[in-house]
Amino acid sequence: MPLINLPAFSADLLADFESLGTLRVDTPVIQPAEPFLAMAGEDLRRRIFMTESETGESLCLRPEFTIPVCLRHIETATGTPKRYAYLGEVFRQRREGGNEFYQAGIEDLGDTDIAASDARAVGNAMRVVANRLPGRSLTVTLGDQAVFEAVVGACGLPGGWQKRLIHAFGDQKHLQKLLAELADPKAAGVFGPEVERLAINGMLDDEARLVAHIGETMEATGYSTNASRSPQDIARRLKEKMELANTRLDPETLDLVREFLALDMPLAEAPAALFRFAEKTGLTLDGALSRFDARVAALAAVGADVSVIRYRAAFGRPLDYYTGLVFEVEVEGTPAVLAGGGRFDRLLTLLGAQEHIPAVGFSLWLDRIEAAIAASGGAA
Amino acid sequence: MTITIALPSKGRMKDDASAIFERAGMKIVAVGNDRSYRGRVEGWDDVEIAFLSASEISRELGNGSIDFGVTGEDLVREGLANADARVEFCARLGFGHADVVVAVPEIWYDVDTMADLGDVAADFRARHGRRLAIATKYWRLTQNHFSGSHGIQLYRIVESLGATEGAPASGSADIIVDITSTGSTLVANHLKILTDGVILRSEACLVRARKPAHDSDPVVGRILSAVRDAL
Repeated sequence: MPLINLPAFSADLLADFESLGTLRVDTPVIQPAEPFLAMAGEDLRRRIFMTESETGESLCLRPEFTIPVCLRHIETATGTPKRYAYLGEVFRQRREGGNEFYQAGIEDLGDTDIAASDARAVGNAMRVVANRLPGRSLTVTLGDQAVFEAVVGACGLPGGWQKRLIHAFGDQKHLQKLLAELADPKAAGVFGPEVERLAINGMLDDEARLVAHIGETMEATGYSTNASRSPQDIARRLKEKMELANTRLDPETLDLVREFLALDMPLAEAPAALFRFAEKTGLTLDGALSRFDARVAALAAVGADVSVIRYRAAFGRPLDYYTGLVFEVEVEGTPAVLAGGGRFDRLLTLLGAQEHIPAVGFSLWLDRIEAAIAASGGAA
Repeated sequence: MTITIALPSKGRMKDDASAIFERAGMKIVAVGNDRSYRGRVEGWDDVEIAFLSASEISRELGNGSIDFGVTGEDLVREGLANADARVEFCARLGFGHADVVVAVPEIWYDVDTMADLGDVAADFRARHGRRLAIATKYWRLTQNHFSGSHGIQLYRIVESLGATEGAPASGSADIIVDITSTGSTLVANHLKILTDGVILRSEACLVRARKPAHDSDPVVGRILSAVRDAL
């Protein structure tokens, strides 16, 4: 169906996707809303266009392509690896720009060579953007949550704190607030009076008794022990919370985490800088660093211009299915992100895939690319 | 210009609101019989009264189809995006007190703060195969409090239009966001309010729709000072 409002370069873009060996797929514009809300959280509700079917099912206009493409992959069960491409309209309530606009992109599902597929995603995104904007220089920002996880893990923090910090990664404000809390010797968790009674009865040191006590209380008060959090869940988290309350980060470790988060440099220099950081601080980051180095090498191998890529240690996305690489492509001189992508190894199992499927991809903001073409005086 | 004031159409709220206006020297009389939905103010010919349900009042304030309304702050803040830009809370009237709160099962010994709840929500799906479910009719207030103030994104809202406090025990949700005035219903349902879980301390308010025409209308100022002096 030829659409009159398609960006003029769409045909060329699709030809690029085809030459990159991808399979073009389409997904319905009207989608079940549930997977988007479940993956991205309740905040998305205000930013998508929702409606209801006659039977009460929540539906929405497709707000993005990654989830529909992954769902389609799971439903059609055609096996991996697969590289899908898409181009179509998405619908979101935005503060700036229109509410309907075109996105295109590639989702690379099931390639177990992580470094190579990461590098291919970044390289392909750079190539298709560069083809639309010949003669303009790109800048790429790259981050890696796995390195942050390794740093936090190597600092010897209890599990509860590691989870909190990793969960906040990508949200600078929240992360800085947590770090300040962690360093404040006064701050401690709030415990209710029941917990004091449990402590006096010696129950906090005896997990079996605590679980039994919680279970009995739930039964007595009419709460089902399996509909929500189980007695075991509550007992386990209570122990974790006591660790959280008793752990204070010494100033040296805090400085070290902050020093890491401040790293911002050309990607080519990052492997050596991370190695020096690990050596200086005595943190064991070997696994994460060797995977990082392998990705940098793979980028050079796919012919991506590594000199325009910057590594920023604090760059991440606060969505729990992003697991490693994240990146954004801009064109020099404008602040708009023209392409964004990353690795989302957790998404397919969350959406119901039976087996673990590693996944990486990117999407292009076609309206912003059009604007960038117009700004550079080219024919859009 | 005629100024329209909307008052709650029934119950305690109607009586309490009428009493305040009477103290303010604005005795309200129903037009026709006393079940009528229109009224006027004795001696104030340029003011008319509309009796509406409390949630309609919040909506009509947002539309600007009435000038003043007496309704709960919770209904205005829930019903209108950017409430403070669209309406002015002119006076807190001292009745209709209710707090909008986050409450969790008492048995969640490990959860007393929003930070605790954030931890639980973050790995809820990994443990339970679904998001933490919140039963509420306060979608907007819940989202602002969880996402805006506490950085918690990973939850689902389950709409609840009544008997919300029973949802955790029945298993239809894990926790609730609801109004409470004395807390006794929460206690009876074995729920506790988080220490930083009070989203809003609401009461009945005199609320003005922000309209440019009000600036030059002396009646608006007279109504405001009459009500404020009566409090």
